[in-house]
Amino acid sequence: MSSKNYQEELFEHFKYPCNKKSIENPDFRAGQDNPSCGDKVAIEGKISDNKIVEVGFSGSGCVISQAATSMLTEYCKGKTVDEVLALTKDDILNLVKIELGPNRLKCALLCLQVLQEALLTFKSAKK
Amino acid sequence: MDFKKIRSDFPIFSKIEQMGRKFVYLDSAATTHKPQQVVDSIVDFYTLHNANVHRGLYDSGEHATALYEGAREKVAKFINAKASSEIIFTSGTTESINFVAQTWAVNNLKSGDEILLTQAEHHANLLPWQRVAKQTGAVLKFIPIFCHPELDSGSIQINAPEHLVTPRTKLVAVTYISNVLGDIWNQGQLENLIKNAKAQGAKILIDAAQAVAHRKVDVQALDVDFIAFSGHKMFAPTGIGVLYIKSDLHDQVEPYKLGGGMVHSVSFESASWAKSPHKFEAGTPAIAQAIGLGVAVDYISQNLNFDQIAEHEVFLYKKLLSELVKIKKIRIAGNISEAEPHGSMVCFTVDGVHAHDIAGYLGGKGISVRAGHHCAQPLVKLLGFESLVRVSFGVYNTEQDVDTFVTELTEALKFFGAL
Repeated sequence: MSSKNYQEELFEHFKYPCNKKSIENPDFRAGQDNPSCGDKVAIEGKISDNKIVEVGFSGSGCVISQAATSMLTEYCKGKTVDEVLALTKDDILNLVKIELGPNRLKCALLCLQVLQEALLTFKSAKK
Repeated sequence: MDFKKIRSDFPIFSKIEQMGRKFVYLDSAATTHKPQQVVDSIVDFYTLHNANVHRGLYDSGEHATALYEGAREKVAKFINAKASSEIIFTSGTTESINFVAQTWAVNNLKSGDEILLTQAEHHANLLPWQRVAKQTGAVLKFIPIFCHPELDSGSIQINAPEHLVTPRTKLVAVTYISNVLGDIWNQGQLENLIKNAKAQGAKILIDAAQAVAHRKVDVQALDVDFIAFSGHKMFAPTGIGVLYIKSDLHDQVEPYKLGGGMVHSVSFESASWAKSPHKFEAGTPAIAQAIGLGVAVDYISQNLNFDQIAEHEVFLYKKLLSELVKIKKIRIAGNISEAEPHGSMVCFTVDGVHAHDIAGYLGGKGISVRAGHHCAQPLVKLLGFESLVRVSFGVYNTEQDVDTFVTELTEALKFFGAL
């Protein structure tokens, strides 16, 4: 990994993150940290007609963990809960558009784990 | 010592450069590279001598046994053990410490007994004792690591650790050199602690993983009962490590594993053990790796001199430190104010940039450094960090390595907007 891996779009998302805000009365919320490197991500949002209509995040950590969260929160807007629950590692890699070795993959995937945890909790609470 | 010649003994440097890639390796505290002699010994074993040990009454079986036991004798001499039966081969430091925890400690400690550690232990010398404490009711006590408050770059100090030794101290299990802070003991401090603890009847275990490639480890001079270290941090293969158990304790320590090769006699109902070291080495051992460790010991004895290694590393350390302190937002963890530091590693962080981003950027430039909590989460938190970049030296590192690192670190910090 090098400057070329920190491709411009990713780096812009780190410097000027999208959706780094809190949401009032969120329908879903979850947060996790990765103690092995200190990355922290919490995501919350609102759902209407089973679609994500508002989303915000807070967090701190490395460029990849924070930029991926910014990108994912942009990407998930307007998607249904099940569409987001079906996202995989490959979808995140397509979003961040960089190659990641096994040691950095967990930085990029933290946001997906958090978002899916939040949506699963939302779904099971609804039942 | 000819450091240029020594570097050329490690084939990985020239091989990677021949492939047209830059290779600046500053992560020897994680694992060292292997000299050609060690690599050859593995190939030779599997091409010429492959056989199980202590079994076959044929040439290769005898030869493999002689090589394997020869490696044990070399290791015994290397750490100045009284007898080679005091050297137990394990898979590494982690297994060696778990071995003592689950054999000697669980059988000899009881509720209220104390185990004395430092706050600077690697998880491998912390978690096994947490488990023993749960199993036996023993209590863990920690020698505090102090940061000098008047120095913003945290100089590290241990004050009078022997005062923490009590009549209830049954075991002192401490690191020789920290994998985060480097040297933590002042001159004579560890020796004093050992003397005081022994006077109270405590046993001593030293985690020497970070020491063996950097200084002479002498089990008799230190007067310890157990020493643990790994081969791969001293130029030998992975998968092989050492547990030194002082002869006096061989009868008190139960075998860690049971199975082939460790018995005197067996009936359907019971068994009696062979003598050490075989009592402690059930199953087919890591034969080639043990032989490789023996060759690494030969390499050190024949080519390296610990005083000169220390001098070389302190030179690199001071050069690196003189550059690092110029960086405004840097915070360094370690003994940087000491007049004569032991220089095998430096850990630092730069405000505003995550350690993983620095290490990731440098990795892309062919520079290998470690970033994270270094398997010492409580220590890193105690020192007020979340994550640290670690630069650690080996005997093969050069002044050029430090220059390249500093240049690329500066570029990284500019890239991430911290300069």
